[in-house]
Amino acid sequence: MKRGNSLILPAWLSRRFDAHPVRRPARLPLPVPLAGVAGLVALFVAIPVVYIFLRAAGADLDDWQRLLQARIWSLLGNTLLLVAAVTGGALVIGVSMAWLTERTDLPGRKVLRWMFAMPLAIPAYIGGIVHLALLRPRGGLLPQMLESLFGQPVLTPSPLGFLGAAFILTLFTFPYVYLLSAAAFRSQHASLEEAARTLGCKSWQAVLFVTLPALRPGLLAGALLVALDILAEYGTVALLRYETFSSAIFVQLSGRYDRSAASVLSGVLVALAMIILWTELRVQGQARFTQMDGSWRPAPLTALGRWRFPMLTLALSVVFASLLVPVGVLLAWSVVALLDPQTLQEVVRTGSRGFLSFALNSLWTSALAALVAVTLSLPVAVFSVRHPSRISRFVARFCQVGYAIPGVVIALSLVLLVNRAAPVLYGTPFVVVIAYVLRHMPQAVRASEAALNQLSPALEEAARISGRTALQAFRQVTLPLILPGLLAGGALVFLTSLKELPATLLLRPAGFDTLAVRVWVWAADGFDAQAAPAALLLVLASATPLFFLLRREQLFK
Amino acid sequence: MTRLSVTHLIKRYPQAALPAVQDVSFEVEDGEILALVGPSGCGKTTTLRLIAGLERPDAGSICLNGQEVASDTRFIPPEQRGVGMVFQDHALFPHLNAHDNIAFGLRRWRPAEARQVVDDMLKLVGLAPLARRFPHTLSGGERQRVALARALAPRPVLVLMDEPFSSLDTDLRLEMREQVRSLLKTMQASVVFVTHDQEEAMYMGDRLGVFKSGSLEQIGTPEQIYQTSATRFVAEFMGNSSFVAGEVTPAGIWTELGLLSQAVDLPAAAAVEVAVRADDIDFQPHPVGNGVIIDRSFRGMHNLYRLRLDSGLELRAFKEHTTILPVGERVHARINAGHPLCVFPDTAKG
Repeated sequence: MKRGNSLILPAWLSRRFDAHPVRRPARLPLPVPLAGVAGLVALFVAIPVVYIFLRAAGADLDDWQRLLQARIWSLLGNTLLLVAAVTGGALVIGVSMAWLTERTDLPGRKVLRWMFAMPLAIPAYIGGIVHLALLRPRGGLLPQMLESLFGQPVLTPSPLGFLGAAFILTLFTFPYVYLLSAAAFRSQHASLEEAARTLGCKSWQAVLFVTLPALRPGLLAGALLVALDILAEYGTVALLRYETFSSAIFVQLSGRYDRSAASVLSGVLVALAMIILWTELRVQGQARFTQMDGSWRPAPLTALGRWRFPMLTLALSVVFASLLVPVGVLLAWSVVALLDPQTLQEVVRTGSRGFLSFALNSLWTSALAALVAVTLSLPVAVFSVRHPSRISRFVARFCQVGYAIPGVVIALSLVLLVNRAAPVLYGTPFVVVIAYVLRHMPQAVRASEAALNQLSPALEEAARISGRTALQAFRQVTLPLILPGLLAGGALVFLTSLKELPATLLLRPAGFDTLAVRVWVWAADGFDAQAAPAALLLVLASATPLFFLLRREQLFK
Repeated sequence: MTRLSVTHLIKRYPQAALPAVQDVSFEVEDGEILALVGPSGCGKTTTLRLIAGLERPDAGSICLNGQEVASDTRFIPPEQRGVGMVFQDHALFPHLNAHDNIAFGLRRWRPAEARQVVDDMLKLVGLAPLARRFPHTLSGGERQRVALARALAPRPVLVLMDEPFSSLDTDLRLEMREQVRSLLKTMQASVVFVTHDQEEAMYMGDRLGVFKSGSLEQIGTPEQIYQTSATRFVAEFMGNSSFVAGEVTPAGIWTELGLLSQAVDLPAAAAVEVAVRADDIDFQPHPVGNGVIIDRSFRGMHNLYRLRLDSGLELRAFKEHTTILPVGERVHARINAGHPLCVFPDTAKG
């Protein structure tokens, strides 16, 4: 029985019982050409990071001093506070919702699984735009409604600042933790909890002392990825006026053109991200003990009893805030926009400023990025999976640095690098594509590695024995068999590239608008209704690959 | 003619303390099946992979059909060696049907000829009606036969089989090994067969090579291996032997089971161990005796007793199925073999 390997989830979770047994590495002569190509890919990925560190180290001492005196510490405080709050919030919501849908008799849990996963298709800044329009202290729809209802202003929570940013970002990042923990809950042996019960634990004690600790490494890995995401987040924090490293760098770059200060800030940000990424990679390596094997059977469901209704309410309110409200409001605005002739004209204007061209720009840049990223990931994955050694592991790890380079930093280094090294590219959309590739390379590498890991090396060996060279064996046997996995990896890169905002904003040539850029610009100018159709299209375009990716998961079968 | 000759083969893995394959030499004659057997991790599979060209030896050489394919200076890649291999998990290509899997190694043949060979192979393994089926729709035994047909179709110089029956359940395994052995013999294939199952090795192999931690302990016919084991390990692994301590005297070997009048090529007073199997021991109830019955299990054709001698040594001994003695009974046990027993110097006592 061959199961699809998971991409949204880390590789260790999808390594199921049908995976081939770990085999001693084949010690054929080191494939020099393969190692060379893989090394070149790693080098390509590494250039922006190294360059940023060099720039930061080479910045004026005055710049460092100026920044150290005031900015860096408050930015560091702000950033870490937000990262901690959102990661914690996402863990609490993600794990508890996963427990509800996987381990209890909550009504409608099959539908709820989809509802909890789908917010991944909504970029956080679009969610932010909607919630801001609803809750804004002055002029927000909800305060206005309440005022007209009660005849006097009613105090409502403001979405601006720290609390607002933490709230919005938690709403749109918890699905990642949810998917991870739901899959882990599911793959866990029933016998684990049963053993705890026979040893005298009550049901809740078994969950607390056995189930959750056993999931800990996996959850930690998920939490760290959320943390990296928050470090890189620009749109939402800028919108809600909460200053973090990312937004400060963006301001330095786009407003003040102070590249030296931007480099210093970027250096610190990337160093911070590297620490988190390094921890994540380490944790991932250890997180092996929730695998399924032949004797797996589902754990019995906990009967919620009189808690059924309160728990359902809780689950539905999460769905309401993270999925129904944003999609509903975008739909309503879109209808308004399409009914109003003037807005309609703005929206559907033809030519390079038309809706169609934004959509096409989004599609081709993201699709090209997906294609390039998957292609580049192949030699790296083959090298690390089929020729495991210290060198190949290092190369594969190096290709993960994209996770630790926020969009603004990629933009900064590309602006500087392209200017210097390849001015031909400057001012073309290809710089945007390069940024997407660099940033989303890790997902492609992980996907390709996962696909290869599921394929027994004996198949390639059988092809070699039947008279094929290594390259022929790869083309005729390996490639056709891992193609579904590669497509899924490409879909993931496509999905995340579509949503990428800061790098696109900073690197696009003048007049080159994507859906994400248009939504952002219109919303920033206050034309929410005008932005809505574009935002809706962006969400739909993301939801489609997400739907197919989720269908590959065991959870949704 | 010698199909395969392996000389002083050595393979080390970087992290391992001991070599995986340590100075192994053997030959396979035309039409012969050589079964390599040993506990898991003993180097037999590594040896197979070295022959296939899937790993590179650190020293030693491999000759196929008189041509050197691996040595200190040469390394012929697997695709140019012309060997066939049946993998442990069959390794059928899941994107190709049975017919195309078998045809995979016949790329350079003329199409008509290749089709003929594939059809012949399918008939030979009894799978002609299933030619268009994909591997996941085939049963375990059918997959096994496709894998075998794929390995045999290009008429390889040598067929390598890596625990080919280990993924089948017991009944099927017994049935398959009969079929496979007769098929290999029909095609007069030269085969190196790897297994960890002693019984399977004795059934499949014209000759056996017993491996222990990377070295070849003994190579010979099943009868030689079983009756005149070269080392204590071979006697223990292949024959379920127990070992009784003894001392060499001019009259024979003195053990606690009495005197074994058998000449050995060892100095007098040397400490030895005598390998005894359950059918080499006889015992009678005896009020004093030299041991006690601690267990009896009825095996249909005979009773298998476990005895504990007064020295603490536990032995197994057969008795006819009608002789039923109670557990706890004192007995006198003695050696009653009717053939020479294997005697090894007792290394523990120097």
